[in-house]
Amino acid sequence: MREKEASSPGLVNPSPMPLVDEAAKWAMEAMRNQQWQEAAQRWAVLQHAYPDEAMVWIQAGICHRQLGNLAMAQNLLESAVERFPGRPAGILELTEVAYANNDTSRVAALLEQARERFPNHMPVLLKSAELEQRLGHPADAERYNVQAREQFADHPQPWVQYAELAMQREEWSLALSRWVEVRQRFPEHPAGYNRAALAAEQAGDVRHARRLRLAREYGQKWLESFDEPSQTEKQALDDKISPPTRRHWLAFIDLIWTKARLNLKSEASQNYLRYLWWVIDPLLYMSVFYLVFGMLLNRGGEGFVAYLLTGLVPFQWFAKTLQQTSNSIVSNKGLMNQVHISPLFFPLVGIVQNSGKQLLVFFMLGIFLVFYGLPPTVHWLAFIPVMLVQLFLMAIFSCTLAMLVPFVRDLTNLIPTGIQFMLFCSGVFYSASIIPEQWRSLFFLNPMANILYQYRLILIEHQWPDWQGLGWVLLGCLLGSVLLFWLYRRVESVLPRVVIE
Amino acid sequence: MMAGVQRVATSVVSKPMANQAKENFGTQALGEVIISLEAVGVRYKRRGGLLRKPDYFQALQGIDLDIYRGETLGVVGRNGAGKSTLLRLIAGIIKPDSGTITNHGVSVSLLALAAGFDAELPGTDNAIFSGMLLGYTRRQVEARLDDIEAFSELGDFMHQPVKTYSSGMRSRLGFAVAMYMTPDVLLLDEVLSVGDKEFRKKAEAEMMKKLHSDQTVILVSHSEAQIDRVCDRKIEL
Repeated sequence: MREKEASSPGLVNPSPMPLVDEAAKWAMEAMRNQQWQEAAQRWAVLQHAYPDEAMVWIQAGICHRQLGNLAMAQNLLESAVERFPGRPAGILELTEVAYANNDTSRVAALLEQARERFPNHMPVLLKSAELEQRLGHPADAERYNVQAREQFADHPQPWVQYAELAMQREEWSLALSRWVEVRQRFPEHPAGYNRAALAAEQAGDVRHARRLRLAREYGQKWLESFDEPSQTEKQALDDKISPPTRRHWLAFIDLIWTKARLNLKSEASQNYLRYLWWVIDPLLYMSVFYLVFGMLLNRGGEGFVAYLLTGLVPFQWFAKTLQQTSNSIVSNKGLMNQVHISPLFFPLVGIVQNSGKQLLVFFMLGIFLVFYGLPPTVHWLAFIPVMLVQLFLMAIFSCTLAMLVPFVRDLTNLIPTGIQFMLFCSGVFYSASIIPEQWRSLFFLNPMANILYQYRLILIEHQWPDWQGLGWVLLGCLLGSVLLFWLYRRVESVLPRVVIE
Repeated sequence: MMAGVQRVATSVVSKPMANQAKENFGTQALGEVIISLEAVGVRYKRRGGLLRKPDYFQALQGIDLDIYRGETLGVVGRNGAGKSTLLRLIAGIIKPDSGTITNHGVSVSLLALAAGFDAELPGTDNAIFSGMLLGYTRRQVEARLDDIEAFSELGDFMHQPVKTYSSGMRSRLGFAVAMYMTPDVLLLDEVLSVGDKEFRKKAEAEMMKKLHSDQTVILVSHSEAQIDRVCDRKIEL
C-alpha cells in the first residue's frame, strides 16, 4: 500500500518531482525494517532519479554492505567519495566496509585520509578513536575522544563514546563516573542511564543499577538527591521521624485530647448553630422537666425539680457516654487495622468528648439552681472531686463494655435496657431515704447511686459529701483500672482481628 | 470461597548477585536479620458462635521469612492471598495463631494513607491528627505543616473541610503526611498509585527515594512488574 503511494508520484506520474527528502523516506523505511534487499533496490531507483545526491550513493552502499555484497558496496561508496569530495560520509562508510573485510590497515589509511581532508569533523574523530580502541591503543583512542569532546562539547556522541571506551576496557567504576558526566550534560540521553546501569551491574551493584534504570523515569535530579542531599533534605534527615515501637503515654494522652477536641469541632460544624447547641440542648432538657414536674404536675413536693435535675444531669452524662463508647472499638475497625494503636484510645476519646460538653451542662445546672433558690455554698467545691470520681467510674464502665462488645456483639442490644435499669436503681427519681434500712447498703453498692447521692448532698443539702462512700467507689475504680490495663494489653493484638471477623 | 486451601510461601532470592558487592557504590550484601517469621499461620473465623461449630479461613500458613536490614522486599500474590495480613503481622498490629514472629528491636510501621481522616474537618486538622496517629508528636507534625501543604499542592483547599476534596486530593494529603515517616521498617500496601498522573509520578519518585535509600521497605503490590522494577527480593504468597 504505502509502497505504491510513495512510488507513484516519482515513477508513474512524471510531472512533479518530489523532493529528495520525501523520496528518501521511502527507501529509509525499508532500511529501518532491516529489509536490506528491498532498500538496496529502492536506492537504486532513486539513484536514477537523483544522481546528484550523495545520500543515495552512500545509503545504497550501506545496504549492500549489510547484504554482504562488499565489492558492490565499495564501488558505490568510492564513487560517492569521487563525486562528492566535500562530504566525509563516503570515506567513513568505506571504513565500515574495510572493517567487514577485517582490513584494519585499510581502515587506518581511510581515516588518516579523512582527518587530512576534514580535520574538524566529529564523526571522523569518533571513528578514529574507535579504531585505536580496536587496535588496542587506549591512550590514542582517548586522545581522539578528547579532541572530539573539546570541539563538540555540545554533542552527546563524544561524551557517550568517552564512557563507552571505559566500558570496553571493563573499567566499570571509571565508566560509571563518565556516565555521571554524560547525565549531567545530557540528562535526556538514555545511554546515561541504561548503559550506566549495565556498568553498575557488572560492578556488582545491583541496587545502584536498578536505581539508574529508574532514574531514566525520574530524572537526574532525583538520582543526585541520593548522593548529596540538598539543604532542606539534610535538615529533614536530621530530624527524621522514626515512630516509637510503643507510643509514649504523654503522646497517647495528647492524641486522645486532640481527637476529642477535633470530634467536638467536627460535630459542631455540622449544625447551623454550631457550639450554641451545647447550651441549647441542656437548656431545653431542663426546661422540659421544669415544665412537666414543676408546673404542670406539681408533683413530688417542694424542691422536687431541683432534686430530679441534680440526679438526672449527672446520670445523663453517664448514659450518653456509655452509649457512645460501647461500640467505639468495633466502629473503628478500619483504623485499628491501619495503625498500631492501643484500643483504649477509642472509648477514651468518647469519654473526653462527652465530658467536654458536660462541663457546660453542669454550668447550666448551677445557674438553674441559683435561680431556683439554692445559692452556691462553700460545699460546692466538693463538686469537683465527685465529678472526677464519676469520670473515673465512667471510664471503667465504658472501657470494659467497649472491650467486651467486639467479642460478644449481642451485648449492644442489652445496653439500652441496662441503662434504663441503672436509671431506676440509682435513685434518680426517688430519695435513698425511702428505701428500707436493711436494703440500703445493697442500694449503695451501685456506685452510680452512691455518686448521685453525693451530688445531692453538696448541691441540695449543702453538706460535704460522704467521703467514705466516695472513697470506696474510688478504690473500686482503681482496682478496676489495674485489671483493665492488664486486659487491654492482652487483647490489644487480638482486637484488630476480632473486629473484622 | 477457598476454604482450607493451603498456601505456602515460596521465598525466592531473585538476585544471587546481591552478595557480591564490590567497590564502593553502596553496600549490597544482605545485612543482619531484623525481623524473622517462623512457621507463621493466621486464620480468621468466618462464622460460628455459641450454637454453631466455628468455621475458619486460613489466610496464611507456614510462612518462613527473614527480613534483612536495608533491603527492599516485594510481596506479590492474588487477591485474598494474605498480603495485607502479612503486613499487619509484621507491623505488630495482629499476632499469629501459630508460629512466631521475632522483632529484633526495630520500629515498624504501615504507611497508612489518610488514616483517621474526618471529612468535616479542614485539611490542616486532619493532617495533624493523622500524623500523630502515625507516630509523629504534635510538634513534629506542626513543624511540617507547610511542607505538607506544599507537597500535597492543595493550596487553599488545605483550610477547607476534607469532604469537599476529590478522592485524589484526599490521597495527596494523606501521602504528604505519611511520607516524612521513617521507621526502621516501612510497610507499603499498594500506595504507589495515588492521585492524578502528575502527582503519582511525584509520589512515586518520593517513594522510590525511600526504597533506594538505606531504609528497609516491604512493598505489597498487585503489579509484579513494579515489584521486579524496584525490589531486591520478592516473595510470592
